[in-house]
Amino acid sequence: MRVTASCATTARFVFLVVTIETVLGLALAVLVSREGRFIRRIRATLILPMIITPVVVGIVFRLIYASDVGLLASIAHAVGLDPPQILSSGTGAFWGLVVLDVWEWTPLLFLILLAGIQSMPVEPFEAARVDGASAWRSFVDHTLPLLRPTILVAVTLRAIEALTTFDQVYVLTRGGPGTSTQLISIYGYQTFFQFQETGYAAAMLFMVALVVLLAAGFAVGLMRRRGR
Amino acid sequence: MTRYGLGRLAWVAAALAAILFALTPLVWMVLTSLKSNREITQETSLVPESLTSANYVSLFSGREFGAYLTNSIVVTTLSVAIALILGTQAAYVLARFRLWGGMQRYVGFSLLMVRLLPPVVIIIPIFLVAQQFGLLNTQLSLIVVYATFNVTIVVWMMESFFREIPVDLEEAAMVDGDTRFTAFRRIVLPLAAPGLVATGIFAVITTYNEFLFALVLTSTPAAETMPVGAATLIGRINVDWGAMSAAGVIGALPIVVFSIFVQKHLVRGLTMGAVK
Repeated sequence: MRVTASCATTARFVFLVVTIETVLGLALAVLVSREGRFIRRIRATLILPMIITPVVVGIVFRLIYASDVGLLASIAHAVGLDPPQILSSGTGAFWGLVVLDVWEWTPLLFLILLAGIQSMPVEPFEAARVDGASAWRSFVDHTLPLLRPTILVAVTLRAIEALTTFDQVYVLTRGGPGTSTQLISIYGYQTFFQFQETGYAAAMLFMVALVVLLAAGFAVGLMRRRGR
Repeated sequence: MTRYGLGRLAWVAAALAAILFALTPLVWMVLTSLKSNREITQETSLVPESLTSANYVSLFSGREFGAYLTNSIVVTTLSVAIALILGTQAAYVLARFRLWGGMQRYVGFSLLMVRLLPPVVIIIPIFLVAQQFGLLNTQLSLIVVYATFNVTIVVWMMESFFREIPVDLEEAAMVDGDTRFTAFRRIVLPLAAPGLVATGIFAVITTYNEFLFALVLTSTPAAETMPVGAATLIGRINVDWGAMSAAGVIGALPIVVFSIFVQKHLVRGLTMGAVK
């Protein structure tokens, strides 16, 4: 069944991008959290990927991956290597898409987690320092537990959006080669607009809507509890 | 001391790597757009040897980028304006009144759920409805759809801004003879202006960037927006790389310029209330 394969691809994609983005965003946020002035200066740069039109992000990465004119091909050419074939192999295209998403959305996780870190109370950290705890212990014992609600909200919001990634795939690969990047949103779109199977496409997308609504209800519940 | 030095080194290195990672792809697109097509395809140079504006000229003379840009601006402006006008009033009601059976809590909740619902899951019904009403390939269809989505975000964000404003101020104005609406307009709205700005910015960015609805509901430059226009340049077999990179730059430019102007208010909007 193509739809199960598409669900599997989507699940793999969501799991990978959300994990990578959370880890990278958290690491970056912890590293720069004490440098207030510096952050304000780099923030504008880091916001760029997430405000740029997703279609343009797709174009940007076409221009990087293209096997004849892309940035990677040009670099390979400059150092005398064979150009990497990214968009023509299934694995390559899938990971190419993952890298695109990490590039575009790590900044969001970074911003949310940074705000979370900066609003944490200082007392536990001072106590930990007085007790001679290492930076890593203090991170595991205090930062992570205090940050847990923020991480949960951020991860859920990001997962919802990643689950229905469409624009970038449409521009980068249209789901191919083969079905290697055929996320559920692309498959649903093609089922309706190319294969004209309205009922089947609607059923598929309704299924996605149910998953999203469940996750959204969870996220909104979390946000409200924290708002109070 | 060494420890502090190492930590500092680590964050500087990490921050530099992040900036490099964020900027390199964009710089490459800009560089490519300034090369001639011959240079792009045959010389695979990293830095352009001679700069040309030919790719940009071709977007506006041979293709319809002027029309895409106009459509994008019209659709974005109108839908955001409608959403702000309707949404602020709805948000005010939710923030100040008790609806029947405590419904004000659920209205805000369900609006946020709609907001979180990605376009792709409702694209089929929207398409069929637009088709029934004969609205396919019109700016109006996009304005209606975008205004609907934007209203939800305006209500969600403005409600919390209104709650932070003390009720006493409006009550004093109403004691002095204002109607509730004049009190809202003269007292509450100006106080909520920063929130209004942040909300408007967020709505403008998401609306301008929206692709799927525009792709499905429009089909000619009479109504197609910038993202759709840029995507049409991507042929299956033959790709005009120069034009494509220029289209990417032109497509991204309005939002980048806009964000530079409104930088201060961006973060709250972008993180959608996950950051208080």
